[in-house]
Amino acid sequence: MFDLEKAVKKWKKDLQRHEVFEDGLVADIELHLRDAYEAQRKTGLDEEAAFRKAVAQVGKADSIASEYDKNRLVKLDRHSPLRPARFMPALVWNYIKTALRVIRRQKAFSLINISGLAIGLAVCMLIVLWVADEWSFDRFHANAGRIYRVYRDESAAQAGSTSALTPPPMAAALKADFPDIIRATRFGYWRKPLVSFGEKKFNEENYRHADPDFFAMFTFPLLKGNPETVFADPYSVVLTESTAAKYFGKEDPMGKTLTVNNTYDVVVTGIMEDIPSNSSIRFELLSPFALLLKEFIGEDNNDNWGFNSFASYVMLADGLSSHDLDRKLDGYLKKYQDEDTDELALQPFTDIHLFSNLGHDIRGRGDIKYVWIFSVLAGFVLLIAAVNFMNLSTARSANRAKEVGLRKVVGAGRPQLIRQFFGESVLMAIFALIAALILLELLLPFFNSLSGKQLTSPWRSDPVLLLGFLGLALLTGLISGSYPALFLSSFQPIRILKGTMRSTAANPFFRKSLVIFQFSLSVFLIIGTIVISRQLSYIKSLDLGFDREHIIHLSIHGELHDKYDAIRERFLQNADVLHVTASMALPTDIQSSPGTPEWEGKDPDVKMEIKADFVDYDYFETFDIPLVEGRSFSKEYATDMETAFIVNEEAVRRMGLAKPAVGKRFGFWDIDGQIIGVMKDAHFQSLHHKIEPLVFKMFRPWLRRLYVKFRADNISGTLRSLEKTWNQMNLGYPFEYRFLDEDFEDLYRSEARLGSIFRSFAALAVFIACLGLFGLASFVAEQRTKEIGIRKVLGSSTLSIIALLNREFFRWVLIANLIAWPVAYFVMLQWIQKFAYRAKITLGIFVLSACIGLAVALVTVSVQTLKAARANPVDSLKHE
Amino acid sequence: MISKTLMAASTRPIILAILSRGEDYGYSIIQKVKDISGGNLEWTDGMIYPVLQRMEMDDLIASQWKLSGENRPRRYYTITGKGRKELSFELKGWRSVWQALNRFIEPVPAED
Repeated sequence: MFDLEKAVKKWKKDLQRHEVFEDGLVADIELHLRDAYEAQRKTGLDEEAAFRKAVAQVGKADSIASEYDKNRLVKLDRHSPLRPARFMPALVWNYIKTALRVIRRQKAFSLINISGLAIGLAVCMLIVLWVADEWSFDRFHANAGRIYRVYRDESAAQAGSTSALTPPPMAAALKADFPDIIRATRFGYWRKPLVSFGEKKFNEENYRHADPDFFAMFTFPLLKGNPETVFADPYSVVLTESTAAKYFGKEDPMGKTLTVNNTYDVVVTGIMEDIPSNSSIRFELLSPFALLLKEFIGEDNNDNWGFNSFASYVMLADGLSSHDLDRKLDGYLKKYQDEDTDELALQPFTDIHLFSNLGHDIRGRGDIKYVWIFSVLAGFVLLIAAVNFMNLSTARSANRAKEVGLRKVVGAGRPQLIRQFFGESVLMAIFALIAALILLELLLPFFNSLSGKQLTSPWRSDPVLLLGFLGLALLTGLISGSYPALFLSSFQPIRILKGTMRSTAANPFFRKSLVIFQFSLSVFLIIGTIVISRQLSYIKSLDLGFDREHIIHLSIHGELHDKYDAIRERFLQNADVLHVTASMALPTDIQSSPGTPEWEGKDPDVKMEIKADFVDYDYFETFDIPLVEGRSFSKEYATDMETAFIVNEEAVRRMGLAKPAVGKRFGFWDIDGQIIGVMKDAHFQSLHHKIEPLVFKMFRPWLRRLYVKFRADNISGTLRSLEKTWNQMNLGYPFEYRFLDEDFEDLYRSEARLGSIFRSFAALAVFIACLGLFGLASFVAEQRTKEIGIRKVLGSSTLSIIALLNREFFRWVLIANLIAWPVAYFVMLQWIQKFAYRAKITLGIFVLSACIGLAVALVTVSVQTLKAARANPVDSLKHE
Repeated sequence: MISKTLMAASTRPIILAILSRGEDYGYSIIQKVKDISGGNLEWTDGMIYPVLQRMEMDDLIASQWKLSGENRPRRYYTITGKGRKELSFELKGWRSVWQALNRFIEPVPAED
């Protein structure tokens, strides 16, 4: 017999096999079925047939279910059935509380995470400040875009050669010949003069000369004086504020008189603001160029087109391009000097700091290469820090799975969770930003001494930059929070709460390759650090072929030059003084001399560039330079003063002179003489260069540097007594000296700086890489807790578990080394090519770097794995 | 008989039109459709419930359990303000389709 209720029940059961049919929905359809059944019965069908028809009318459970399923997807898309508001203020406080609680509960983890990000941010900020400063050079001039430096392209005479130095008549001639040029000035100096005001005397290194157009071209604001008229009289001077204070204290300097070289007076006609640190043009005192002509080089040189010793700047009329003018300058110098093969070219003023590489260029320039390298580094550091942050947070996510599950159960949708986790990472990033700003304050002095800049923190210098940093931090927070946020919020509550959740969803390949990349970078930097420091110590240890210890040098300009003999005699009376001599140029600074020397048997077509210096007796003795042939200059030979030359071995080699070279005829500067000695090759220049041909001749009128060599013991006593002697002689100049070895160290200053920068970055990179490794290690240990527990229960020892866990990291570090080695090898090979004399890049360096990297990695990982390995297996297994 | 596509497109406006005359429940809605169309609109009865649910999710209609005259619990649906707007919008659409169709099947004028 047909039982309706039974049939309906069976039919319902069929329906309920589909999980979308919630009870309410089933009731809906059941009622419908019953209505249909009754309607069929009324048409006269028997019970069973009516029921069958009604069921057919209602339709297949599958197709209805699939329609409901579509609705469910739409519903999921619109989040929870509760339809929470987009923003719930009540929950914000809860989010903050949760975030703070998470930070507090996992102190070590939070500390590592925040400090990692903070360091990344701080380094990034430092570099941004540095890059911004490099870019800002010379751009503070209102006319910066219209000012050009005129330089000489000497490639006709010597391939690739350029010079920033131009002759005195050029600036005015250019201005007269080209209407495009509305302003022009020369800028330069001759020697550092002694400037005195009463008892105050200073050797002024930064005394420069320029033409009256100078203040109209460059934006060096005058605090006192009229820029139009300050240079009306040649005997006038403009001082920077601090120089004025040095001489006059609080008195009004205007109209006061300074005495130069004890011979002539200049009147202070203007006071200007101190020159900002981002200026390529630097000076403390500025006088008209006319004065330099009158007092130093002679006014007849104002027309000397061969006197290439000064910089020339021109300013174009507004809106004109330099290209047209550049073209018109072709062959310009020929107009004034037939035999001149050089061409003139314009260089934008703002290119000088970063893009210039001219001969005789301004010292202390920057290099665009470094700007790029550092910018990329900053990006890398930040990226790595951010991804580490991400990794660490994700690794810890398993701990918070329950929280996520519960939040979802009580109605949080994915967006709420995403917002919560983003909020957390942004909060962390803000903490990191605060830490980074504090760190920045602490690091700036150190960084300044490293980079030789005077950067100030962004609060003081640039609020826009500060805002930028805030944006950077927020962005980092968002980016680094993205993975945990998206990953955590995708958890299915049922699986978490049932405990079947395994947090394996994170992309292990991404994670691993990141750690490998970080470690490669670290190993690379470690190798770089070692290579640089080895090269520097190699340079220092290399026998330069002469003695530079315990030698001081003084400038003997002006009247001092005339008193050279007297000074020399007096100094030699001092028992501790071994030698006194003089030369025109410092050994580090001997320049090439124009022209080719003549020698016995010379092929007329052969050209040879030679460096030359004028020296006094005792020069070779003072520097202890051995002579391989002949003798040094001596008073016993009257002709030495006139026709004697001493050359180095390299010059002999290049001239192809057969031994003995001594006695061979040799001519230079129209002097027909002979070689009286051959000095052993010595590294006067930096070791970037090979030893070049060198010639010495005696010529007393051009001696500018006095050298005193004394005994190694009692240095300060000797210096004191020398100063006393100096003052007794009443020379009118202060006793200002420098140690010669300092000058030689200066040759490698940029390398030393590079070395310390590399060292700092290496330390940083290693630290950050360790953070990454730590994050990964804790993640892996977390994941394998149960496995470790079971292994321990089955009898594994702590040591074997550590070995098990460390093995994988070991492999990664090895892979990192494999990547870093070739890269480091080629980069460092490139770098070391700059030196003509190089320390070898040995395999040992690489092995050592690998060992350092491995040791650091091992320690980092072991901290985490030890914890995991020592944990009581009961704790990890009891929840099963 | 009408095509599946047309049926799918017309379901919602028809339900809205029926409900615009007063509250109603699933079975009755189906019956009305069948009666009025003279059997041309053949809906599978069960399929109306997901549609009703979806319309409720879209706030076009609202539902409420009530006891009917035969003392049977039924879920009664009513049209919402949003539903009425939707209905008039749909009607406009259907009318313009209908007009367009009509115009094309009218006899072509002789002088053309």
